[in-house]
Amino acid sequence: MTDETIIKERSRPGFIAGASAQIGLLAIVAVLWLVFSTLAPGFTSPINLFGIGRSLAVDIVIGFSQMVVLATGGMNLAVGSIGVCAVMATGFLLQDAGMPVPIALAGGLLLGAALGWLNGFAIVKTGVNAFIITLASASLFLGAMLILTKAVPYNALPPEIGQFGRMRIGGYVSPLLFIAIAIGVALFILYRHTLLGRQILAAGANPRAAEMSGVPVGRVIIISHTLSGLLAATAGMMLVARLGAAMPSVGGEDWLLPSFLGPVLGGTLLAGGSVAVIGTMIGAALVTTIRSGLLVLQVGNFWLQLFLGLILLAAVMADRYRGIFLERRSMGRK
Amino acid sequence: MNALLRRLLLVEWSGILAAIILGSALLAWLSPAFLTEFNIYVMLRSFCVALLIGFAQMVTLAVGQMNISVGALGGLVAVLAGGMMEKMGVPLAVAIPVAIAIGAFCGLLNGILTERTGINGFIITLATASAFTGINLGITQSIPFYDMPPALVAFGSDRFFAFPYLLIAPIIVTILLGIFLSRTIPGRQLLAVGGNPHAAELSGISRGRITVLAHTLSGALAATAAILAVAQLGSAQPTIGSDWLLLSFAAPIIGGAALTGGHVSVLGTTLAVILIALIENGMVLAKVDPYWVQFVLGALILAAVWLNRWRAVTTGTD
Repeated sequence: MTDETIIKERSRPGFIAGASAQIGLLAIVAVLWLVFSTLAPGFTSPINLFGIGRSLAVDIVIGFSQMVVLATGGMNLAVGSIGVCAVMATGFLLQDAGMPVPIALAGGLLLGAALGWLNGFAIVKTGVNAFIITLASASLFLGAMLILTKAVPYNALPPEIGQFGRMRIGGYVSPLLFIAIAIGVALFILYRHTLLGRQILAAGANPRAAEMSGVPVGRVIIISHTLSGLLAATAGMMLVARLGAAMPSVGGEDWLLPSFLGPVLGGTLLAGGSVAVIGTMIGAALVTTIRSGLLVLQVGNFWLQLFLGLILLAAVMADRYRGIFLERRSMGRK
Repeated sequence: MNALLRRLLLVEWSGILAAIILGSALLAWLSPAFLTEFNIYVMLRSFCVALLIGFAQMVTLAVGQMNISVGALGGLVAVLAGGMMEKMGVPLAVAIPVAIAIGAFCGLLNGILTERTGINGFIITLATASAFTGINLGITQSIPFYDMPPALVAFGSDRFFAFPYLLIAPIIVTILLGIFLSRTIPGRQLLAVGGNPHAAELSGISRGRITVLAHTLSGALAATAAILAVAQLGSAQPTIGSDWLLLSFAAPIIGGAALTGGHVSVLGTTLAVILIALIENGMVLAKVDPYWVQFVLGALILAAVWLNRWRAVTTGTD
């Protein structure tokens, strides 16, 4: 009984609860910026800010690609594999097939969406846990990509791709960041103001109740996975622009932790039924800040993993105790 | 005939066994190198570590949990054991129990965090996996410990005809685990909690304690796998464990374990690992791209999941 109450309470966090978590997170990011810029003056140099913005854009979109499936109560372990498949497909279309840039980008995005659709379709048709389906498909996609490309990167891409990645607006802002923010706005509108968005959240919060009230739960899950694939492919395209090349090593399991860090830090529940678009962006900012800060401080990449793991642990535990606290308070009010 | 098929279908590992027999026959017919003493030794040797990895995940699946950190934990234990032996001169007989204890402690940590916070085990072990890998890389700076005791290296490479001595460890573990899950009270409680946590709790089983026990056991098994991997490689590589995740789920799930808990099979997992070792060996003999292994493992999991589902529907045990 108590478990159920907690779940109910937690799947509909009030506006204040969500906002307070995000303000807390934002405060942590601000403190870290203060610390890093005091310890290492190079942290706020234009070149470093540009670098932070560029990786932040990718981290945000990777976080979104996980968030949209978390909303349905599922998960997508194949984000990295789908991302890298899209990257290599684009590389192939540009370099070997000689396609113009817009068509090649569209091809990569389309492949990502198609692979995501495949995941969703398999999950809905078999009724098997999303975890196991996407674990298997991650290996399937990555394996197929490696077999087809023989793990050879595409280095001779048209120069305008790399130029776009190096472009700076106003001295230190990457246009990639604007793309990430635009996607955030679109997702915010989707979940807040459209029927489909509300249906996705309803299906995530309580699939049976949603089904009974006429929400096509299966279709909604497939759409969410397709969207996840599309977003993973978008993150892949951003990496192509950043590196100026299509590398087979950019995705895979490396995306797994960041993809969960952003949404979970931002307050998206694993149980489904809620999303935190702005929270995911702030969560990604925290990850990027720590990564860049440790790099500037020359702590080295080796300890980074430890920090990220500890932060994730601290964040989920803080979230858990905040939930219990809020529940006690609301019970006291009754 | 139909009744016979139905009875065969009810035995969950019948499909894997059929695949193993068929596969071996096919390989023996196609490749003369398959049945040589050396090839069988190579296959048995690769089977050892994989089986323990599968068991490490299987015990968490038994209670309806999962352990994303098996590989990270294994890697950490491997370098800690290697460091103890190379830098501190700890004798083998001390280093191995200490390493397994460290693994069990890491698992205990996973269990306590999951149980105390009530947060999904997936996210907890994802976080601890990153932390374990971080400590591993921070200590070693990605440089392996090469100077391992000769006795350990000999244990990892010597053989009696086609029988690698390394195989002794997984055989003992398999027997102990089989007895534990089927004959002892904590083992039965483990499965009871996984099958129906609510009913188990009502009959007086402490769900929290059993969850912690499963994670601790998982840590100890992953640590054992790590030590075998060190023996097999002859050095303590920081990369040990980085590719365990998929395999750890593939083995128990192909072996018929349910992700929802309460149902695991030691025999099924063992057969699944034999099948995987057979497939990998077949690919080496056929000289196909090593990338195919990843592809086929993914396809195999999907096929197994689909088959289990179909079997449940056909036999009406769903």
